Amino acid sequence: MRELKFDAVEVGDELGAITHVVDQETFWKYAVASFDYNPVHCNPDWVATAQPFGIPETVAHGMMTWSFMVTVATNWAYPSMLKITKLSSKFVRPVPAGTTMTCSGVVMEKHVISSGKNFVVVDLKAENQEGELLGLGQVEVVFPD
Amino acid sequence: MGSVDLEKFFETEKQKEFDTDFFKDAEDYEVWEEIDFETEDEIPGERAFEIKAEDMKYYAAGVLDDNPLLTDEEYAKSSPYGGLLPHPIFHTQIIFWCIGTKGRGNWIRTPGARNPGQYLEIYEPFRVGETIHIGMRPHDRWIKRGKYYLSYEINMYNQDETKKAKAIGTLILPKSREDIRTFIRGLRGLDD
Repeated sequence: MRELKFDAVEVGDELGAITHVVDQETFWKYAVASFDYNPVHCNPDWVATAQPFGIPETVAHGMMTWSFMVTVATNWAYPSMLKITKLSSKFVRPVPAGTTMTCSGVVMEKHVISSGKNFVVVDLKAENQEGELLGLGQVEVVFPD
Repeated sequence: MGSVDLEKFFETEKQKEFDTDFFKDAEDYEVWEEIDFETEDEIPGERAFEIKAEDMKYYAAGVLDDNPLLTDEEYAKSSPYGGLLPHPIFHTQIIFWCIGTKGRGNWIRTPGARNPGQYLEIYEPFRVGETIHIGMRPHDRWIKRGKYYLSYEINMYNQDETKKAKAIGTLILPKSREDIRTFIRGLRGLDD
């Protein structure tokens, strides 16, 4: 465990990025983990003709992409006992199998309220191997000190 | 056109029990154009979710997160947290479980639904041993660029009625029951 203090955090601080290569097995395992068995993620035969995203391939769950993005924040916050309280996401591009997804975060706002209520807003994003945006997110992280 | 057999991945009790076939009963799912927005009271889910360590650990594994606070019970127990932490998006597992297949909110199982983005507030992290139940109500329904959006507010409570989290769950859905039937047949049911 480490101890990240509110006073030491600056707007513009970058959080450690993570990278995952996702494939059909990744989608299946996430379906089992989340109970979201929508065939758009799990059934390549059906997607070949139904094409909900306009492509004949399965795509990653948005909630999995969001989870990857949020892990950037938990890796930063949890070891210092910081609380993640509000989260949002927007998914802008489907993520087919074979995508190399890199998720990153940066402190965008520092809210100086009072001890125990101070918080920062972290912007998160997910990009593919071409640098194209896949998803955006925000989390509010509250400092206990 | 049924679900792919994913039993080889099952590890938890709930995974073995959950109905994975989203096509079955799909013609009876709630439909965008038929949602009742007059409801004031919270609508309960079909069932509660008793949180076991295996549930949290498998969710972390499913999102390739190896943080020991999420995956290692002994490590987490010896940390200041005193026990496993859930990944913040673990609520997804709880919501799909609690909504089930027959009751209100089952539109989240609609084949071909698309996820435009989500919102979540966490008041207290879920803990192993809690039993979570949900209360939901229609939140919004709108049309944008020819697509049909539906959102529900879903509140999550523990056995002491402590509100643990609130989600605003949103999907882009087929508009009508006939559109869902089109999708079930494997034909395109949404515009790009």
